[in-house]
Amino acid sequence: MGARRLDRPLGPGAVVRRPVTLRWDGREIDAREGEPLAVSLLANDVATISRSFRFHRPRGLMCATGSCGWCECEVDGLPSVRSCRVPAREGLVARSEHARPSAAFDLLGVLDRANRLVTPGFYHHRFLRPARFRKAYLDVIRWFGGRGRVHPGPRPPREWGEGREGGDEHVLAADVAVVGGGPAGLTAALAALGAGARVIVVEAEPEAGGTARWSTTDGGPGGSGSRALVAEAIDRLGADLLVGATAVARDDDILRIVGPTGPVAVRAPIVIGATGSYERPPFVPGGDRPGVIGSRAVEMLLCRWAVLPGERAALVGDDASTAGAARLLEAAGATIAARIPDEALTRIDGRDRVRRVRWIDGGRQRSTAVDLVVVGRRVPSLELPTLAGARLTWRTGALAPDLDDAGRTSVAWLYVVGSATGLGRDADRSPRQAEATGRSAAEAARPGVAAFAPGTLRGVTPVSAAPASVTAEPGGNAAAPDEDAHVCFCEDVRVHDIRRERAAGYDDPESLKRRTGALTGPCQGKYCLDRFLGLCGVGPGAPGGEAPGGEASARSSGSFLLPTTRPPLRPIRLAELAGPKDRA
Amino acid sequence: MTARAPGAAVRRLLATKPAPAGAAIVIVGGGVAGLALALELHRRGLEDVVVVERGYPGSGATGRNVARIRAMQLSEELCRVASACQAKYEAMGEALGFNILFYRMGYAWILYEADEVARMREIVAMHHRIGIRSDFLDHDGVLRTVPVLRGGEPPAAGVVHDDGIVHHDAVVWAHLEALARTGTTLLPQTVVTGIRRDESGVAGVETDRGTIATRQVVNATDAWSSAVSALADVVAPNRPYRREVLVTAPVERFVDKAITFYRPHEGWFNQTLRGEVVMGAVDPDEPAGLDQRSSWAFLRRTAALMTRKAPALGDLSVIRQWAGMYDVTPDHLPLVGPTSQLPGWWQMNGWSGRGMLLAPYTAELLASRIAGEAPAMLAMFDPDRFPRDAVSSTEQDRDYYRRYARAASG
Repeated sequence: MGARRLDRPLGPGAVVRRPVTLRWDGREIDAREGEPLAVSLLANDVATISRSFRFHRPRGLMCATGSCGWCECEVDGLPSVRSCRVPAREGLVARSEHARPSAAFDLLGVLDRANRLVTPGFYHHRFLRPARFRKAYLDVIRWFGGRGRVHPGPRPPREWGEGREGGDEHVLAADVAVVGGGPAGLTAALAALGAGARVIVVEAEPEAGGTARWSTTDGGPGGSGSRALVAEAIDRLGADLLVGATAVARDDDILRIVGPTGPVAVRAPIVIGATGSYERPPFVPGGDRPGVIGSRAVEMLLCRWAVLPGERAALVGDDASTAGAARLLEAAGATIAARIPDEALTRIDGRDRVRRVRWIDGGRQRSTAVDLVVVGRRVPSLELPTLAGARLTWRTGALAPDLDDAGRTSVAWLYVVGSATGLGRDADRSPRQAEATGRSAAEAARPGVAAFAPGTLRGVTPVSAAPASVTAEPGGNAAAPDEDAHVCFCEDVRVHDIRRERAAGYDDPESLKRRTGALTGPCQGKYCLDRFLGLCGVGPGAPGGEAPGGEASARSSGSFLLPTTRPPLRPIRLAELAGPKDRA
Repeated sequence: MTARAPGAAVRRLLATKPAPAGAAIVIVGGGVAGLALALELHRRGLEDVVVVERGYPGSGATGRNVARIRAMQLSEELCRVASACQAKYEAMGEALGFNILFYRMGYAWILYEADEVARMREIVAMHHRIGIRSDFLDHDGVLRTVPVLRGGEPPAAGVVHDDGIVHHDAVVWAHLEALARTGTTLLPQTVVTGIRRDESGVAGVETDRGTIATRQVVNATDAWSSAVSALADVVAPNRPYRREVLVTAPVERFVDKAITFYRPHEGWFNQTLRGEVVMGAVDPDEPAGLDQRSSWAFLRRTAALMTRKAPALGDLSVIRQWAGMYDVTPDHLPLVGPTSQLPGWWQMNGWSGRGMLLAPYTAELLASRIAGEAPAMLAMFDPDRFPRDAVSSTEQDRDYYRRYARAASG
């Protein structure tokens, strides 16, 4: 059992690639030139790529889109590189980080067994005496910290990376900037173009099209209609389609972008967020085991890279993407061992990889051996709305931006389309919302029409409604989340950590964020924000959050405040940010 | 006082609640200054204290700073008080029964230009005279002690001292848990909307949760202090300035000193216990004003300056940035004590970037002053030391060293 490479990819758009050899933790790995390093590792059945920060839990390829950070490793001496973002090439040298001796076999993995003792505040009442050992205690704590390694000394310029190093900031101007070049973003962009707006599209992947590039999901975004849409958009946008470029912040009405040509500033009064959604690990113990993989990542592995991620799969969730992944897995010869509704899953067993899933079926406990768990349940990407300080709401069980009929958030400059709206399948399958929003955005960008709200950036984020209770949490146990389920994966914060801090008297989200570290990891709450809020028990009128720009603290009835999302929206290397102009 | 505070007591302290009708003393501001003062007042037997906080405790500069606790300063008067403040932190963990992670990682000034080297030689001589054991390092010594600077702009010299950092949130929690065991009332999420005065001085504090009758008000709101003073018609020279910070993904231990340099403009970085590197490059043209938004210009400026000084830092990934406020006075020393402008009005603000370091010990001095004593060290923080029309301006202080020229020569 395990992952392996197939003879040929199952989807459209794949090209035959040259075999190359690279090094992983001292051993040679066969890879295909240009495929993501994380895919090369999985194809060689390397399930564990990294270890979690606090408890050294094994983690592997999960999202394959640079979001989860579970595939971070050292690449050619550069620390904490997301290996799903690095194209494989001959002679590349990668090694696992934060593990002794290696991610595959990490002696510090034993720490996880003490997770109820080594709580986020385990030091609060300890290590005070004798005073002469205090520094030594902290030296030990410091030894456990860190992740990657920095090698001192001068730095040669590098040719690869998520963005070119240095470089002057290019300044572009548009009426509407669309963040995300998938089907929804391109539909909105074409509609805005049609309405006479100057449009710039920013796409993080090296090519536009999103899922349409490789997905075979019938009738979904990967249908032939979508591919025609992508071709038309590429044709009509031309140089105004920026690929390999990630929006990381917005200030002074300028969208800040890091891309292959260095930092780019896009001055645009209106932004359309088409940043999609994330499959996220189930809210059960073991939800982060290597072998838990998002349904669209599974589709991509099979269709684009010809890698079978497991022989015997459990499907969690019943959306179109999970069904599409199931068909592909069966076509590749894998077995679908179980189809489990989100709320029925109770536990995923295994150590360095998934071994068994447990669920409840008609009141009975069931389990089966698997080596792959495909998760389809998606949550909207909330980075732009939370960065903007837009109002959020709960929609179809997930936290989502509160939108008016035109697709506009409560912040005048931000619109949202596609699966980032949380509108679910309907929005995904129909370009109508994206089209209408694109036209509205173009309209709003005309001088004198848009009412800008300067100063709303990075401000308080009121939420219009709250979950009735944590039992409504999707993707988890129907009754209540297990005490050992992860809330925040980056910081290994479990349900019992939140409960303990609440029992200690810290009840509001801001205190709980600081006390537990939840939401403060590199993913900044992509996967945990709604679960965290549910466990915080926040409801209308609850305190928390902070006020923007020194204004008086906002407390509006019927809403509560979220901890602030801090820019940048994805990690950026200092070398990428530093430009020769500033250096001079 | 080493027992854990019961959860119910902490919950009660942190809960939003209506303002009480009256109090002996109202402290406006629930940052490290206000919380430490509340605790010191309790120790002196002064009860019936209410702390009013507009956000959550520590939501201002306290929760946003990097908490360097440094005895080594540029002027003799600051060195003396900072040494006492550092000693306060050294003892704080045991005193409050809460580990605040005071960690002596060491501190280094890195010097690049001949004039600052000459200046620093005098300052190190002053250190030695008053018992601060700083060390002067030459170029090679700096690169040996701080190897991360190798390959960067060649440092001319450096000064190191055994200073430390604390965990700012832990300092807040230590105070909250200690306060939960006292009768102190904390009003979080409560905004002061007005100050009542009558012919004998301060008469009350108006908030959006009710009015508190009181004869004593302490303004511990730092960057917001001029606005709060204005509510009482008290004029203060303080002006708020934004300072920005970024933090990188954690890496294994590789920098052993908290680094600061002043040329070409002020910049600093250090590694935390978790392994993250926090850093910032100060904008010499930052305008005065309350603004806690983070800026792209800061990221670019900091990245450019840090990779110039220490190219290895270029490998690090920024995962988060934020901004906090400095409350700057004309002489960069805080205002701590009563003001002749209004009986019953106490200033405890204008920390000029040193609130985390100075506040806990200064709170001890101020509490004794409020109790009727006259601690000598407070004299230099006298809020009445400026002319009434004085206003801070950083214009004349673009050269960091010059801010301390008067203090050092005078």
